[in-house]
Amino acid sequence: MTSAPVEVAPVEVAPSEVKGDPALEDATTTDKPWLVIVWNDPVNLMSYVVYVFQKLFGYSREKSTRLMLQVHHDGKAVVSDGNREKAEADVARLHGFGLWATMEHPS
Amino acid sequence: MSPKLSRARGGRLELSLTAEERDLLRSLPDQLRTLYEAGPDDSDPVRGRLFPRAYLDPTAENAEREWRDLVHPELVRDRLASLDQLLTALDAERDARRGGVVIPLDDESSGALLSVLNDARLALGTQLGVTEDLDYDSVTPDDPRAPGLGVYGWLTYVQGEIIEALLAGLPD
Repeated sequence: MTSAPVEVAPVEVAPSEVKGDPALEDATTTDKPWLVIVWNDPVNLMSYVVYVFQKLFGYSREKSTRLMLQVHHDGKAVVSDGNREKAEADVARLHGFGLWATMEHPS
Repeated sequence: MSPKLSRARGGRLELSLTAEERDLLRSLPDQLRTLYEAGPDDSDPVRGRLFPRAYLDPTAENAEREWRDLVHPELVRDRLASLDQLLTALDAERDARRGGVVIPLDDESSGALLSVLNDARLALGTQLGVTEDLDYDSVTPDDPRAPGLGVYGWLTYVQGEIIEALLAGLPD
């Protein structure tokens, strides 16, 4: 993410760690929720990301800011979780706002 | 860059644009429409960024395809609607100001404008290979990226102003 016009440190993070066979069918039957992850990118404004988290998930300013900073500093953050259908819907909504979001299931 | 956003009486936000700025905004929808209608393509950096995968796992191809078939039509429909809304707003106010415009920003029009601004920045930023530490001062006029970065910087400025105003209207 970036902030204009204040300079920020570059954080180039590629989602390169890819797991093996996700065994999707098994995953849907376990109790563990799917995780919705937002990745850092060089274009989206920090303020915009806070705005999207508040608007989309109804999170407080404090929580939205904390998640945004986690994305910015760590390269990614888990922003929501739930069953597969909910995760798919959340990812689509985040994409609708131009955020780089993916979903994964902890094995 | 001059302040573009102001509050009219009654508190409504208004975005003031010169004729040149209006023309720049007016040119974005056609370019984005082409990208939207071309659809997702992981091998194309710009379209890959506008329509990312949901499943990072490359072995989850079936799930990815099902998800894409399910959500993609709506993602495109919503974005195309934003393009049309912005064009309507730009053209409706056109004659009032000798080419310049003042666009009233309500919930709907600010949402459409944000969608266009952000997607244009994603597309342009990806094409230009923008990084987080982009320093506009280090871009010389003979840099081939200078015109694009000029547009990118202006879009970033306008989007930032709108976001600040919208954040002020959201609860803490």
